[in-house]
Amino acid sequence: MQELIYYFTHLAIIIGIYAILALGLNLVVGYTGLLSVMHAAFYGVGAYATALLMTQLGFNFFIATGLSVVIAIVLSFAIGLVLSRFDGDYYALGSLGFGVILYSVFLSWRGVTRGALGIPQIPKPELFGFEFSQITVFLLLVVVLAAGVYLCSRFVTRSSFGRVLMAIREDERAIQVFGYNTLYFKLTVFVIGAGIAAIAGALFASYITYINPSSFTAMESIYLLSIIILGGLASLRGSVLGAVFLVVLFEGLRHIGLSSDMAAHMREALYGVILVALMLYRPQGLVGKYKL
Amino acid sequence: MSDVVMQLVVNSITAGALYAIIAIGFTLSYGVGKFFNLAHGVMTAIGAYAVFYLTKGLQIEAWLAVFIAIIFTGAVGWLLERYIYAPLRARKASTMVLLVASLGAFTALQGVLSILFSSQVQTLTQGSAVQQVVAFAGATITEIQIITIITAIATLLGFVVLLRYTLFGKSVRAVSDDEEVSKIVGINTTRVIGVVFFLAAATAGLAGILVGFDTAIEPTMGMALLLKGVIAAIVGGIGNIYGAVLGALLLGFVENFGIWKIAGEWKDAIAFALLIAFLLFRPHGILNKKS
Amino acid sequence: MSTIKTENITKQFEGVHALDGVSLEIPRGRVTGIVGPNGSGKTTLVNVLSGIVRQDAGVLHIGGKEVSILKPQQVNAHGITRTFQEVRLFEQMTVLDNILVVVTERAVAASLFRRRQERCDREARQALETVGLWEKRSSPAAALSYGQRKLLEIARVLAMREAEVYLFDEPFAGLFPAMVDVVVKVMQGLKQEGKSVVLIEHSMDLIRQLCDTVIVMDEGKLLAQGTPETVFAKPEVIAIYVGK
Repeated sequence: MQELIYYFTHLAIIIGIYAILALGLNLVVGYTGLLSVMHAAFYGVGAYATALLMTQLGFNFFIATGLSVVIAIVLSFAIGLVLSRFDGDYYALGSLGFGVILYSVFLSWRGVTRGALGIPQIPKPELFGFEFSQITVFLLLVVVLAAGVYLCSRFVTRSSFGRVLMAIREDERAIQVFGYNTLYFKLTVFVIGAGIAAIAGALFASYITYINPSSFTAMESIYLLSIIILGGLASLRGSVLGAVFLVVLFEGLRHIGLSSDMAAHMREALYGVILVALMLYRPQGLVGKYKL
Repeated sequence: MSDVVMQLVVNSITAGALYAIIAIGFTLSYGVGKFFNLAHGVMTAIGAYAVFYLTKGLQIEAWLAVFIAIIFTGAVGWLLERYIYAPLRARKASTMVLLVASLGAFTALQGVLSILFSSQVQTLTQGSAVQQVVAFAGATITEIQIITIITAIATLLGFVVLLRYTLFGKSVRAVSDDEEVSKIVGINTTRVIGVVFFLAAATAGLAGILVGFDTAIEPTMGMALLLKGVIAAIVGGIGNIYGAVLGALLLGFVENFGIWKIAGEWKDAIAFALLIAFLLFRPHGILNKKS
Repeated sequence: MSTIKTENITKQFEGVHALDGVSLEIPRGRVTGIVGPNGSGKTTLVNVLSGIVRQDAGVLHIGGKEVSILKPQQVNAHGITRTFQEVRLFEQMTVLDNILVVVTERAVAASLFRRRQERCDREARQALETVGLWEKRSSPAAALSYGQRKLLEIARVLAMREAEVYLFDEPFAGLFPAMVDVVVKVMQGLKQEGKSVVLIEHSMDLIRQLCDTVIVMDEGKLLAQGTPETVFAKPEVIAIYVGK
């Protein structure tokens, strides 16, 4: 019984982290129509920045998280400036490129990131002497942050700002004619998405206590993309649903007796098939409102 | 020229030749299909694993296995076009939908390869046979690298002859120009596009097989090769096969000379830096000037 | 007194002169019609005026200020708005959102935090009611009929209360007679409010009915400008309509 509770709490934490990632990505891809294939890289920036600030400089988790969000924001602002020059398919390729470059940094800047060895012994969060070491308490933290991100995303999408994002997705030139400097809107939403990804990265680093570059690959970015396409583009509920589906599918495959490796391969194959099927038969995803 | 530089030149050309084979197919399928067919990448792994299965599993002779594998890979490419891309195009899906669908096909096929053959690294060469090495002006080059270069040249010439001097080539160029008009003048565009996707996949499979004989194969090998092919095609000017070859050579040189002074893991980052620089400053590639 | 003044505007596309040294003035508070055969440069002129296409050479003044090198969003800030010949709506957004999106805050921070819900709603409702699309407010723009789509585009520029110059690129094309009447009323209303209206139109009847001034274009050049009566009496104008 104890083990079962532990197991489900663990699943809920992983789902929460993926939901945060999906919410941030959906703002960029679903609402604004920018096909970003580098979300895992900002996730990694958040994870690495938090891990390094905590292990090397002894920062508190919450301060480290705040700083890593700032780092992700600064970085994404610079990258966003370059990416905003591209559109459509070329945006996808350019962002994929930046994703690969950041991954190379995690892997090859050994003096700081320890390369493939990764960073071990990342501490748990602590607040006024209270430690979030128990898994259920950690879940609480994840739930609070995920809810915060959800509400923040809802605020963004329901504001006039969100409406302009959708107009950019539909016809960028036309909305410019009505006096909007779309560059600022695209940059802002990209930066928000990256900041949210950094929060997820901080949670991931502190929860698993060990990170290495393999969690932040281009393939991971593609997974995140398929989460929101499956759940539904331009739908916040869809983002959460997609995250639940990803985690549950993997666990389900493990439970029918597949090894971790085999379950991962099976999930990969299923995800590909699902993506193709969605494009053919339901381009707006399960509960989405927007077709690519 | 110092031996180091000579060796780097040789390495650049071999890498460029491999990328060129992939880029030519990618750029041609873009020409007729007008979208980035990312599934092109997984064709390299399919070709390589087909040879692996035929030679190690069924004990078929290498040359025959290679031949069958190329045809098989081409057929997979044709099937994707026939049953996924063609229906999507018919209902005027956006290029993003096609791109995501091809990404899905990529992921699915890569997953299937992992399920069938496990994610373990394999080799195509028999036993521990050491590759023949040829010394050349202070540098060394393996036999399979020479074959790669020859294959790249043959692929380029083959496609040039096909596009320039055959009726089919004329149709391909017409469809690349304007599919609607081609249809009106009586070209069976579905068939033309299908054949192009067959040829593109087949050559990608060939590239994967060459990699397999040169180094090793794994189900995930397609991604890196795809990205190199895509970068080469865009740097050269998408849709232009000469451009694709030039882009591939440029990429080979930039990568290999780039890592001369810094560590090898930065290869991919360098390749993408080249892509981003081109997208920013020369988005239509080396050869295409039109905006 | 003119709102828009161009001097020697020239624009080439792949060697073809779409606009060839066009100098003209568009009077304030009037309805100005632009006519001419297909390919005479009418739409290119409107594209240059709205900042979508940048001219190769020539100077552009709006309301006395030089605006030759402005981006579309900056041109809009000078009070110019437009419709498109090939209707450009935000297809997957609702009819109401198509209007609301142009009446809300232009700055990022303001659009996030300042809500002028009531005023925006009122303005959007007014614009939609003028063209008779208020009932359709919740359906996606993509679901409208062709004529309704054109009307929605007109409502979208109508909602831009602060605009001074309204550019319409073939607003009547493909409309039913009842819809044509709606659009005619819209333009007359704008004129009464003292706004400047520029429209590209092929129907001579509508031009005569609506326009105070007519600009005739041919092969990228300004052929004639004046009141409809004087312009349509000129032999060179008659020639391009009869002769081709």
